[in-house]
Order: sequence, then C-alpha cells, then structure tokens
Amino acid sequence: MANIVLEGVTKVYGQDILAVDNIDLEIREGEFMVLLGPSGCGKSTTLRMIAGLEEVTSGTLRISDEVVNDVDPADRDLAVVFQNYALYPHMTVERNLAFGLKLRKTPQEVIDRRIRDTTAMLGIDSLLDRRPSELSGGQQQRVALGRALVRDPEAFLLDEPLSNLDAKLRAAMRTELIKIHRMLGKTVVHVTHDQVEAMTMGERICIMREGRIIQVGPPLEVYRHPADSFVAGFLASPPMNLLKARLSGHHGVDEVDLSAVNLPIPRHRQAPLRRHAGSEVVVGIRPEDVHTQEPSDGTHHRVDITVVAVEVLGPEVILVADLGGGQEISVRQGATFHAVAGARIPLYIDLEQLHFFEVDSGLAVLHGGASGPVRPELGSYLKEGGP
Amino acid sequence: MTANVRGTMRKRGRWKFLSWLLPHSILVVFSAVILLPLLWLLRVALTDKSTAYKIPPEWGQASLDNFIEIFTGYPFFSYFLNSVTVALGATVIALPLAVGMAYAFARYNTGGLSLRLFVLSSQMLPPVILVLPLFTLFLKASLINTLPGLILAHMTLSLPFLAWLLVAFFDGEVATLEQAARTDGATRFQALVRITLPVAAPGILAAGLLAFLLSWNEFLYALILSGPHTNTLPVGLSSFQTHRGVDIALLSAATICAILPAMVLLPFLRRYLIRGLSLGALK
Repeated sequence: MANIVLEGVTKVYGQDILAVDNIDLEIREGEFMVLLGPSGCGKSTTLRMIAGLEEVTSGTLRISDEVVNDVDPADRDLAVVFQNYALYPHMTVERNLAFGLKLRKTPQEVIDRRIRDTTAMLGIDSLLDRRPSELSGGQQQRVALGRALVRDPEAFLLDEPLSNLDAKLRAAMRTELIKIHRMLGKTVVHVTHDQVEAMTMGERICIMREGRIIQVGPPLEVYRHPADSFVAGFLASPPMNLLKARLSGHHGVDEVDLSAVNLPIPRHRQAPLRRHAGSEVVVGIRPEDVHTQEPSDGTHHRVDITVVAVEVLGPEVILVADLGGGQEISVRQGATFHAVAGARIPLYIDLEQLHFFEVDSGLAVLHGGASGPVRPELGSYLKEGGP
Repeated sequence: MTANVRGTMRKRGRWKFLSWLLPHSILVVFSAVILLPLLWLLRVALTDKSTAYKIPPEWGQASLDNFIEIFTGYPFFSYFLNSVTVALGATVIALPLAVGMAYAFARYNTGGLSLRLFVLSSQMLPPVILVLPLFTLFLKASLINTLPGLILAHMTLSLPFLAWLLVAFFDGEVATLEQAARTDGATRFQALVRITLPVAAPGILAAGLLAFLLSWNEFLYALILSGPHTNTLPVGLSSFQTHRGVDIALLSAATICAILPAMVLLPFLRRYLIRGLSLGALK
C-alpha cells in the first residue's frame, strides 16, 4: 500500500502550455481519492504524472515516501486503467492478464492462481480464450480492471474508466469498484468529470480547474461548504443556483436584492457579510432548499414566481422558476409535484441555507446551514494552493 | 395501401435505382480505362509477332511462344532475378531502419518537424537531379554496376517514404497500448517488441509491400547505375526496343511477367493496409 504526495507539482507542455500549476496534494494510504473537474483542468495530466507517463516539470512526487520523479513507470508498481481500456488486441484475455506478471517473472502456478481468483471475482472467467475485439464494452472494461487487479500493485490509477459504458452498466461498475476498494483496501486515484461518480465513490474529492486544485475534502463536506462558486456550480445535478445579487438594506447587509425579489438576511448571519455591505455578491441556493409548501420552522421567505418548465424525472420533479429580473432557479420537488408552465405559484426559500460568494474571485463568504462563516482551512486551498 | 403511397414508393424505388446506376457507370468507365490496356497487353503477348501489329486487331491462335522466347533468347531470367534481389534487399534492409526512425519520430520527436521535413526533402526533388551526384559517388566507391549499389540507391528512395508512412502507425492508439505495457512493468524495448510491433505489424507489412513495389518498378536509377549484368526488369524491358523497332509481342510478354509479382502482392497489400489503417478500432 502506498501514499502519494504531490508537492508544488507543475506540468508545462512545450514552451508555455501550463497543464498543471503548482499543486499540493496528499493521497493517503488506502484512500479512494477522486480527481474531479471539467475537461482540460489537468486531472488526467496529474494522474499520468503519478503513473510516470508524463514527466514532472517541477515539484516533487512521492510514492510511499520515496521521490519518484525520475523513476520509470515500470518500477513504480502502480496499475493504470485507461479510458479506452488499452487491452492488447493481439493477445487473448488470459495473456492480457498474465502480461505484467510474466514480465516480473512470476512463477506460472502463481500466475494461474491469480488469474483464476481475479477473473472469478470479476465474473470474466469464461472469457479467458477470447480476444479483446470479441468482447463487449462492459466485458473489456472488466478485463482492463482485471489486468490491474491481478498484479496486486501498490495503488490503482483509474483514468475515466467508466465513461465509455452505458448509464446502467456505469452505475453497476461504480458499486463494484467501491466493493473492490473496500475488500482490498488499496490506494485508488480515480479521475472523472462526472460529479455523480465523484460524490458516490470518493472518500475524498479533489476538485481541479485550469490546472489548479480548488478544493479537497470528503464529498459531503465539499457539497455543503464549496470553497467557491465554481465548486458550488459543478457539484450535484441540478447544481446550486447561482444568482447575481446586491447586499442592501439599512446596514447594507439586512437584505439581499435579487433585482425583482428581496430576501431578508437573518440578523445572526449578517456579521460575516459586513465586509461586502452594499456591494454585489453571488447568492447560492441549492434546489432542495426551496419549497412549494411553507415549512413550519419560520426560516423561509415567500416569493411568487412564474413556472418556466417542469422536468419530470420519475422519483423527483425539477421545477424551473422565473424569479423576475432575468433570474431563474431550479427547484427540486417530490414526484407528486405538478404545475403548468406560465402559472404563478409561491415558493419558500430557506434563508438559513443561502450561500454567499464574492463576485470577482468567486470565493465563498458565507455558507448555508449551521456552519456559518467559511472555514479557514478550506479557503487556504485557494490562496496557497494547498493545506 | 392508397394509390398515393404506392406512387411515392415507386418514386423512391426509381431514385434508389438511379443512385445505384450513376456511380456504377462511372466505375465501369474507370475500370475500363485501367483494365483495357492490360487486356490488350495480354492479347498481344499471346499472338505471334506479325498479328501483333495488325490494326484492326486479328485473333490468331493463342500461343506461349513469346513467353518462351524471352526466357530463352534474352537474359530475361537474369533481369527478373536482379529485380527480385534489389527490391527484396532494399525493402528488407530499409524496413527495420525505417521502423527505428519512425519510432524515434513518434515517441521522442527526434529533431522535431525540421528533421522530418529534411528526411522527406530528398523526395521533393526530381530523381534525375539526385541520380547524377549519386553516379559520381558510386563511381568513386566502385558501386556502379553492382547489385549492392542499386540496393543502396533504392533505399534512398524507400527509406524516407517508409519512415513517414510508419510514423502514423506508431501514433494514436498504439501509443496508449505501449503506455499500458509500461505501467504493466515493461521496459521501453519490451513494450516496443511485445506490444507495438505486433500490433502495428499489418501496417509495417503494408508499408514493406509498397516499398517493394516502388523498387520493383524503379527505372531511372536502375538505368543509370546498373550495367549489363545487373539490369533490372524495367531496364530489361526497355532493351526490347532495338534499332529495328520495338518487338511489341515480346515486350508485351515481358511486361506481363514483370507485373505478375505486383498482381500477386496487391491483394495482400490491400488487406494489410486496411488493417493497418484501422488500428484505431480497439474500443
């Protein structure tokens, strides 16, 4: 088992294409770490640097407390599962699985036993004599996973391994990967642009953007306390509603002005906002913090909206509502909710759950819920690039 | 079914027939342009010398006399053997060198784009400009009128072309496979020999066949750098043109023999080239 530590790691392609910009990250022993971000954010490059497939331009990369910047990928004892599986097309499944073990001069009986165990675990034991071209996408995916597992490496690096599967298979493989991780307890680095994968699989999520790490933390922590508006708008589906607003009122922080609608800010939440009194902010409202029936806790504020669209998803309904002034919000409702487009209905917004972000930097000023002001250790990722 | 629907379907059927007819008629014309000269060649090769010249053509008794004569009355077998030696020699030596070059270009970007262009630059000049300095060099090195000399000359043609062709086979999907092998514990050399070369083999083979045909058909270098004992087929064919005129029947028979290996190789070339080019279909 291995921990993987990146210190000030930078990757520059050619003369001036900055792919990864001075990142610090510690992936703990046995941890399931998800690197999440939009395409081009540097997450795959980071994984490839860990694997040794890309050179580190500057900074230090340690695996099991050993600097491996110049160690050949063959000697890092990591297994990579590629997005396109990269199965050797001229070999049978059995030879694909045995390839790495044979290179390490593993005795044949050990190879046979490991292949038997791994294929039984993944349910691919009947495919051993087939070529990759004779397998379905899902089977190829399992073989690729098997090729990584059979070697019993220090850590697994997964580069968007589920993105070529259909939705149903992807969900099944998610569960399977989590099970395998629990069973083996090995370090896993999983790269994905799919926030559902990140939320469901990761013990911690590392969110990247434009070559930098924006936030690292357990899924719920990142969900509840997004370090900035980018993270807030990236996680969950539908993501947090981000609305242009201005702090206003007698003290400059009594109300938030959403142009057509004003929301009062509870007195006990005003202190952290004083620095931005009277200025523009971005207000974040999670779709689940808005209701169509007034809850009894008295923290909700009524606004009247026009129904723009109702998306029926089955277990839930997404209501898209026009707040006026060109601002729309998505609202998550139960399966029984019904409304017609164009209808005027009241919505109740939970004032305790409003998030506030700076306009220019996007940094969080105040999170929703009982958490209150932004926790300094989360913000530090933004300022110094690491803990 | 109403009359209206039936009418639409008939219209659709007519359109389908037209869209089948047009490309096929174009293809028939093109095939005729390519195949008729070959059929004519075969006809002339199988007639006797006097009927060969007759216009409008006459159909005499088909005979293999011309084929027998080129092998008995002329050193045609020697031309054939020289051509096989030179084409095979040039390809077998150039192919591994080109594999090395292409691998270096694809993986290490050796010399950058400028070196790649430099390698190709020799192909941009008319061969006649290169053949004269080559002649002087070969004269000094006593390579004129030798088969190794001709092999070397043909390699200057095939090596740049092969290297360029093969770079494409080493890029793309094969590169990912090689990376998978490297993380599986293979050294660069192991990954090359056990993964990249077997996977790229169809492409390499197709490129080799192309290089073989390039050398097989080459005329100018062979004409200037070879002598009576090292003449290759294209040069040999030109020798059927004597001071008494062209012996068209013999020339046709010789040409048929000369294009036979190419005809035999072409189906393989097609198969491997397609397999080679569709290497990306791994997903």
